[in-house]
Amino acid sequence: MPTMVAAAMESPVWGQKLSSVVPAKVTGDNKDFELTNMDLAMKLHYIKGVYFFQSEAVQDLSVRDLKEPMFQWLEFSFTTSGRIRRSETGRPFIKCNDGGVRIVEANCDKTIDEWLATNDNHQSPDHLLAYNQVLGPDLGFSPLVFVQLTWFKCGGMSVGLSWAHILGDAFSASAFINMLGQIMAGQIPSKSFQVHNPKKSESPNPSIPGKPFSLKKVDPVGDCWITANNRKMETHCFHVTAKQLHHIESTTYQPSQIDNISCFEILSAIIWQSLSKIREDSGPRIVTICTNDYLKMRENEMPTNGMTLSTVEADFSVSKGEIVELAKLIAEKRMPENGLIEELLQGNEEGSDFIVYGANLTFVDLEEANLYGLKLKGKKPVFVNYTINGVGDEGTVLILPGPEKEGGKGKIVTMTLPEYQIEKLKNILENDWNIA
Amino acid sequence: MPPVLPDFSNSVKLKYVKLGYQYLVNHVLMLMLIPVMAAILIEVLRLGPEEINLLNSLHFDLVQILCSCFFIIFIATVYFMSKPRSIYLVDYACYKPPVTCRVPFATFMEHSRLNLSSNPRSVEFQMRILERSGLGEETCLPPAIHYIPPTQTMETARVEAEIVIFSAMDSLFKKTGLKPKDIDILIVNCSLFSPTPSLSAMVINKYKLRSNVKSFNLSGMGCSAGLISIDLARDLLQVHPNSNAVVVSTEIITPNYYKGNERAMLLSNCLFRMGGAAILLSNHRSERWRAKYHLVHVVRTHKGADDKAYRCVFEEEDKEGKVGISLSKDLMAIAGEALKSNITTIGPLVLPASEQLLFLLTLIGRKIFNPKWKPYIPDFKQAFEHFCIHAGGRAVIDELQKNLQLSAEHVEASRMTLHRFGNTSSSSLWYEMSYIEAKGRMKRGDRIWQIAFGSGFKCNSAVWKCNRTIKTPTDGPWADCIDRYPVHIPEIVKL
Repeated sequence: MPTMVAAAMESPVWGQKLSSVVPAKVTGDNKDFELTNMDLAMKLHYIKGVYFFQSEAVQDLSVRDLKEPMFQWLEFSFTTSGRIRRSETGRPFIKCNDGGVRIVEANCDKTIDEWLATNDNHQSPDHLLAYNQVLGPDLGFSPLVFVQLTWFKCGGMSVGLSWAHILGDAFSASAFINMLGQIMAGQIPSKSFQVHNPKKSESPNPSIPGKPFSLKKVDPVGDCWITANNRKMETHCFHVTAKQLHHIESTTYQPSQIDNISCFEILSAIIWQSLSKIREDSGPRIVTICTNDYLKMRENEMPTNGMTLSTVEADFSVSKGEIVELAKLIAEKRMPENGLIEELLQGNEEGSDFIVYGANLTFVDLEEANLYGLKLKGKKPVFVNYTINGVGDEGTVLILPGPEKEGGKGKIVTMTLPEYQIEKLKNILENDWNIA
Repeated sequence: MPPVLPDFSNSVKLKYVKLGYQYLVNHVLMLMLIPVMAAILIEVLRLGPEEINLLNSLHFDLVQILCSCFFIIFIATVYFMSKPRSIYLVDYACYKPPVTCRVPFATFMEHSRLNLSSNPRSVEFQMRILERSGLGEETCLPPAIHYIPPTQTMETARVEAEIVIFSAMDSLFKKTGLKPKDIDILIVNCSLFSPTPSLSAMVINKYKLRSNVKSFNLSGMGCSAGLISIDLARDLLQVHPNSNAVVVSTEIITPNYYKGNERAMLLSNCLFRMGGAAILLSNHRSERWRAKYHLVHVVRTHKGADDKAYRCVFEEEDKEGKVGISLSKDLMAIAGEALKSNITTIGPLVLPASEQLLFLLTLIGRKIFNPKWKPYIPDFKQAFEHFCIHAGGRAVIDELQKNLQLSAEHVEASRMTLHRFGNTSSSSLWYEMSYIEAKGRMKRGDRIWQIAFGSGFKCNSAVWKCNRTIKTPTDGPWADCIDRYPVHIPEIVKL
């Protein structure tokens, strides 16, 4: 559609052109790909990943240079080109019909540096750089993946991946987009992809029979897979530098107490405590933790939802406890619920809809994700941010690896919380911890 | 079982009777010659060697001998001069679209739903057409049509024309070793895209052809324009000795993707796909050895004098002002009529005497004795080894298969071309020829019949004879997928 000048005044991203890219070879026989119960549990969520590249990485790269390798790329994980269909029982599955991936080409009036420097109080503008994806209402004809290529004034470019969570988790999404960079550089994966068969609940702790706490039932969504929030949600992201991390670690606990506590647990504990300080009910008492315990290597595998969902219940007052105690609780006392989720969804005959992220306050550990593995012309992105759409009212926090800087990598924290909580939380984090 | 055996023996008897009849009638001259030769031989043997002294017995003198010689030489010269030049098809190249242009069914339907979002009934209609179309999942559309909505501009149309035509020409140059400077005649046919300067000028500019090249650009002549171009090339090659003619047949899809809701016009969106072919024809005697085919007949039939036929494929604006090509409901009936006309002309040229005799007898019988006799449909399988029916759509191929009583193998090239490449308009005949070659079925002496239908309404035929047995080519549009063919094409594909 012709670009409207008036719109450019309001939105810095303009001129969107949509097209499709399909696998180079016919997938054949319209294979039907079955979805696991874990996949179905995540169906109302969407992952967005934005990768920023400076102009040296994308100089002389035209749209055609970027699109041509995509055809070969899509041959490998062919489920991403499929579409959702329902079986006779109403259970969704993926029909691998080569519908393809939607590509969006757009332009932006700012430079990359200007964009990254915009740390404003409003909703993170990164959402403009990845298409707002929702499966449905035309469920059978909605692409599962969008890739948005936005050119900036300085010659840099952003690659925005919109990924339906039903396909796989953030680790799978990241491995998928990294493969594009590999194919562009001429490194074609040699073997065909393995489908990961989920092992039945591998929880070392005997799982308590009953309902999982990490799942929440929502009103039926029918064929339009997005749930409405009762509160206005906002997303805010900030960088915790390696120096700040080190300072936090040294001030919160003795070296002897460290043991197996990672940055993820520390940061999650800090945010949990800060939130409970600002909330009237001093809650939440239960949080959901999402970690990648079993499937480290996602290269050369079909996308899958392989992360472990656990809940942690605090039996003491979170706002008054010690950070290290809270972090230990998260690290050691979390109860994996994948088995319970499987059971619940197996017996879900009435086809109820659930959400996971935001059912409780959710912390997602993406520290080990190879987010900076997407290389164009051998150059890494200068910044990568991931967010989750379709988050419930309790909110979600993602802990991501930070960009390479002198002194180390640091972490990126991306929070999606009710609007009224974000401002207060930022104040506490700045005052108490000197972050955000 | 006793009842079956008589039937079997009957049909065998019938088959031998038929074969005997055909042999007898087709070789009647030879068969008559045998008794004559026998009689002469017997006479000669009876007369004895002494009496055979023709030269003496004829009493010729020198003047008479010289005059006779000159007379014979004169007749021979007149004969050779007035014989039409042989037109050789040296080689041809078909454009193979890259995978980046591939359009699976699912993608096509999705784009349709988004482009026609205001009219779901049109979308349903397109889906039904696509399910029954006989197209496969590898047909290609030009890059501009992959956008939602399609970016149809003059520039993108030219880009498509350049990609298709230059690619086919480069392929042709490589295959034949032809130098651009050696092209004497250039004919480009593309029905729906006719820019200024013309596509033939575009080719001349790109390849720097000579300034005295005879170039022609045929537009608006529909899917049968490929054979019209061949006919034109043939006529020109009769007039210009020792010349090379390059014919480029293509259809540019970009400017013609219909954006409206009219069902009669949406059909072409579903069927037309990207494709093109470049053919080298020559009348050089030296090409006789390496040419693949030589042209035997071209028969053109135009039914435009009939109003219904004229309007049956009509480009016009719909109610909303969007331009599209409207296909009328009587298309198949009109195509049948045009085919009958064409067959009536081509039949006597190609059919063996046995078939012509039968046809004549049935015709006389119907006129004189009983008009209710079924008209005899000549068996064209006797006249041709291979059939290339324009892959206009599944219905066209089905109709022709029925009318000409062809077997599944005869129409295999057409069906498989429709499946793999879609309806590429005037170039589809060349993809079909290429299929037959790729399958290794083309032997020296085989006769090929190319039939094309087009707007107007026209039915054009060309008859080629294979000059040399063609080895299975290692390049060409079918090289990477011929092993998968023939495929079974289901009646309805579930999307």
